[in-house]
Amino acid sequence: MTPTRTLSCITPPFILTRLLDSDNVEIRQAALATLLTTAQLRGERSVRGLIAGALATPADGRRSIFDCAHSTYLPSARLTRSENDEPVQDASVNRAYDGFGTTRAFFQEVFGRNSIDDRGLPLQGYVHRGNRYNNAFWDGRQMVFGDGDGQVFLDFTGSLDVIAHELTHGVTEHTAALEYHNQSGALNESMSDAFGSMTKQWLLRQTADQADWLIGAEVFTPHIDADALRSMKAPGTAFDNKLFGRDPQPDHMDRYVQAPDTEDGDNGGVHLNSGIPNKAFYLVATGIGGNSWEAPGHIWYESLKASTQTTDFQAFADTTYDKAGTLYGADSREQRVVKEAWAGVGIQITTAPTLGRG
Amino acid sequence: MRLSLATRGGMAAPIARRLPPQVLDTDRLPDDAVRELRRLVAAASADPGGAHPAPPARDAMTYTITVDDGPRSATLVSSDTSMSPAFAALLDHVQRHLG
Ligand SMILES: [Zn+2]
Repeated sequence: MTPTRTLSCITPPFILTRLLDSDNVEIRQAALATLLTTAQLRGERSVRGLIAGALATPADGRRSIFDCAHSTYLPSARLTRSENDEPVQDASVNRAYDGFGTTRAFFQEVFGRNSIDDRGLPLQGYVHRGNRYNNAFWDGRQMVFGDGDGQVFLDFTGSLDVIAHELTHGVTEHTAALEYHNQSGALNESMSDAFGSMTKQWLLRQTADQADWLIGAEVFTPHIDADALRSMKAPGTAFDNKLFGRDPQPDHMDRYVQAPDTEDGDNGGVHLNSGIPNKAFYLVATGIGGNSWEAPGHIWYESLKASTQTTDFQAFADTTYDKAGTLYGADSREQRVVKEAWAGVGIQITTAPTLGRG
Repeated sequence: MRLSLATRGGMAAPIARRLPPQVLDTDRLPDDAVRELRRLVAAASADPGGAHPAPPARDAMTYTITVDDGPRSATLVSSDTSMSPAFAALLDHVQRHLG
């Protein structure tokens, strides 16, 4: 490492992370050397993660895609494409394979996270699950995708942010393990939407201003008048049609939906109230400006790792404020934007400023 | 016999709950298909599997199949990641005939 240049030590860690991804080997080595030697950052858990990520072998997070052939019984599914296999005839298989690859690379290169569990967990996907199945889910170990009924919904592998949403459920399970009901459940959903949207923005190299902030824009058939399943930019506006009405997601605590904690109530409205932290993340990303996966993504990722099973909106908001101070300095612009963003959705930060911890 | 299928939860939960239940009226089905359906209903009633998704599941769906068969009626509930093979077979059959 001695002959390698180091980059200016005021280079923010998220810039160095991007440089680890550079095609130029000198830039990559300089970024790595800087991360290793910058005194300000030495010992930071996040930086150790970045370095581990940069050095991880490509064998980690190996992909296997299975064809369910319309069965709901996963053990009978046929392995159709494994890591390093050439593309196959089946487009759903290839989309799942590529979507996992993009999401894996996003977590690796941006956050230094080695697959779902940060220990290289193999990525297993099941496509063509069930008959006309209008859904995608994470079953606790693997990701499962339906073809859609062809009337309302299309194949759920068609949307990268949906694939990344499901994979992020695994990441959340291996970090905060947010309980899947009420506010912790809505936060769990919001993490999947935020990291799902960031994955797409990162692939497309879109800034926060350029991104559409839609989740599942590709899952509807052309007959359906709907932009997407959800909008993080404007929760409550993703659809408005005769068949299933207007998008019921709230974008502010004033409109928080008190739904029963049952399956009929979507476990306390986890897919509804996620609109509130979704909007907060959008406000942070556009308020800070530039790429969502840089400072905004790092604040959210560190806060996810610092959260617990029962973290609610208020506790998560306070944690993001604290992490923004730790990462970018007390009373930094980033920290002020975080505070304003949560206020914008009706949540006032209650943590005292973390002076001297920047 | 009349079967209705209501689906809740999933990645698109707010939309799923607003879609009307899907109804399968067996008047239009051949006799052997109705016999097969009765057999599947009996097997799923005996062992539907778990009513709720297994705890680690996220975005899983829950299915309610209501069966009206003359004087007899039954409501069967199960979920992705917890349904029995018998419930899965009934669901598969109902969904194929709905399409
Ligand atoms: Zn989800």
